[in-house]
Amino acid sequence: MADKEATATEEEPKVLTDLEKVGEPIVPRKKPNEIHPDELTGSIKIPKVQEGTAAGNKPYLCKSENMEKLGFPGDLREDWHDAAIAKMGDLLEKYKSLQVYMDICVKCGSCTDKCHYFIGTEDGKNMPVARAELFRKVYRKYFTTEGKILGKLAGAEKLDLELLGEWYSYFHQCSQCRRCSVFCPYGIDTAEISMAAREIMDHIGVGQKYTNDIIVKVHEVGNNLGMNPKALKATLESTEEDLEEETGKKIRLPLDEVGADVLMVTPSADFFASPHVESLLGYAKVFHQAGISWTFSSAASEAGNFGMFIGNYGQMQKVASRLTDAINEIKPKRLIVGECGHAWRIAYSFWNTLIGPFDSLDPNFKRPQHICEYTLDLVNRGAIKLDKSKNDHIIPTFHDSCNVARGARMGDKPGGQFTIPRDLIKASCNRYVEMDEETIMEKTFCCGGGGGLLTDDLLELRVKGAMPRMQAFSKVQESHGVNFLALICAICKAQFTKILPKYGVGMDVAGGVHQLVASAIDLGAKE
Amino acid sequence: MNFNIDEEGYLVDAESWDEDVARTIAQNEGIDRLTDEMMDVIRFMRSYYRSYNSFPILNTVCKNVHQPKECVNEEFIDPLSAWKIAGLPDPGDEVIVYLKR
Repeated sequence: MADKEATATEEEPKVLTDLEKVGEPIVPRKKPNEIHPDELTGSIKIPKVQEGTAAGNKPYLCKSENMEKLGFPGDLREDWHDAAIAKMGDLLEKYKSLQVYMDICVKCGSCTDKCHYFIGTEDGKNMPVARAELFRKVYRKYFTTEGKILGKLAGAEKLDLELLGEWYSYFHQCSQCRRCSVFCPYGIDTAEISMAAREIMDHIGVGQKYTNDIIVKVHEVGNNLGMNPKALKATLESTEEDLEEETGKKIRLPLDEVGADVLMVTPSADFFASPHVESLLGYAKVFHQAGISWTFSSAASEAGNFGMFIGNYGQMQKVASRLTDAINEIKPKRLIVGECGHAWRIAYSFWNTLIGPFDSLDPNFKRPQHICEYTLDLVNRGAIKLDKSKNDHIIPTFHDSCNVARGARMGDKPGGQFTIPRDLIKASCNRYVEMDEETIMEKTFCCGGGGGLLTDDLLELRVKGAMPRMQAFSKVQESHGVNFLALICAICKAQFTKILPKYGVGMDVAGGVHQLVASAIDLGAKE
Repeated sequence: MNFNIDEEGYLVDAESWDEDVARTIAQNEGIDRLTDEMMDVIRFMRSYYRSYNSFPILNTVCKNVHQPKECVNEEFIDPLSAWKIAGLPDPGDEVIVYLKR
């Protein structure tokens, strides 16, 4: 028989280790049926500040085995305090921006009501300035003269286990979406502060299970979903069969084809999950109809890179280096990236310095290029045709992904990351509705699951953090009958699929931009 | 029957699996009776895991057990429950997150 009950009765009150004290929520995590989202009214109300309402939101700690695989200590270091301060000193030296962000905040309050997690949880420590203050007060204590001499009078505080526990909680209630930084008159990037805090915590043995387990999975198997090359091949073959059944045409999903013109790099969720796979079918149909030779690669079967979420440059580089192996093997001319928010930020903003320059790729094309830009260009040149009437049952709106909106660009013009996905949706559908302007483009709200927080450990936070976007969506749902939330991010897709039903909206409302392309594309013979 | 289930409901020793074990894990997952159709899903997951050492996409499951698309769902059988009943190990956080549940 299962020994579950047997061990349960013998259990004695557990004495927590220091590490467990840091990782244990001050109030217990809520069960899924105890989480009650706000009612959808269509308006986003700024709440009255509460204390500690989000204190129960802490992700599970990463176990020692996987911490050590990433080169981090397997337990809280005995000298954790000194090691944390030394690491903070290193980061202040290495990232001058971090030093500037520590010094220039004037507490003007512009950011206070801009964070989706503050609006959703009402917890004052989720105001960006208060979150940053958790870091800043430690900085003052050890790195400023007034803090060293005057201590608390100068807003300086020693890093102790209790404060470390607050770090673990509130720096995992920031999805690094950078909405606050848009409104900061000084441009302070709280995401970078969160990344630094997570990097310091990993360095002393306090790591988050979800992000760190996934990075281990990428190193060991090749992608976040843990699909080895053999499983990936079988999956693509099976999906190819489905595609042939649907279209009556042999539309390919090639893998590891040496010499293909285009190497397509996409989040592994596109191979595995729904609605992600619908966009994958879209990419395949576009390449098929344009007559382009292309391939996925089992070496680079993951566009995502959680090294960014934990603020660890070494991990980010190691994950990205898989792409170098793929380019050397496939020898493509072009590199195209699928629908994934943080992956596009990394591809656009960091790949070149992490693993570039891509000298072997054709300089006549962007290195890399976003799939939306690629497809829209084919449409504009008439190389593929989209029949909008096939989507006449759909009234879409577009949710800008934070890392695309505020961490990257697309195309040749400023703001291309906003116009290109919208133009592609409009090329696929006769109707299009925009959500409230305070919630789109550079002011977009995070889906509530970005930045390494897309784990069920943080379900309550995810439900509450999605609230501002859900309100904006419900407004156009009510006023214009919008029935499709178009997305270009694997995390957004998974987050909304799970969260929409909690708000009483059907999960099928969420889908990819290339899902719309896939249903509109004309697969007839080319003229 | 001699077998252990861990805190999350996964069978600890894969070798200890048989259909009686499956029925006990199913009860642990809140499924009182495993129908033949459910057992087909569970057997397929075991054989897929043996061949590919990976979690199958749900369309592949349905196709192979001759059920309509999107057959693995809350009404029929939750995919993660089916995986646990099949006595297979923790597939990892990302698989759990991306299973439509």
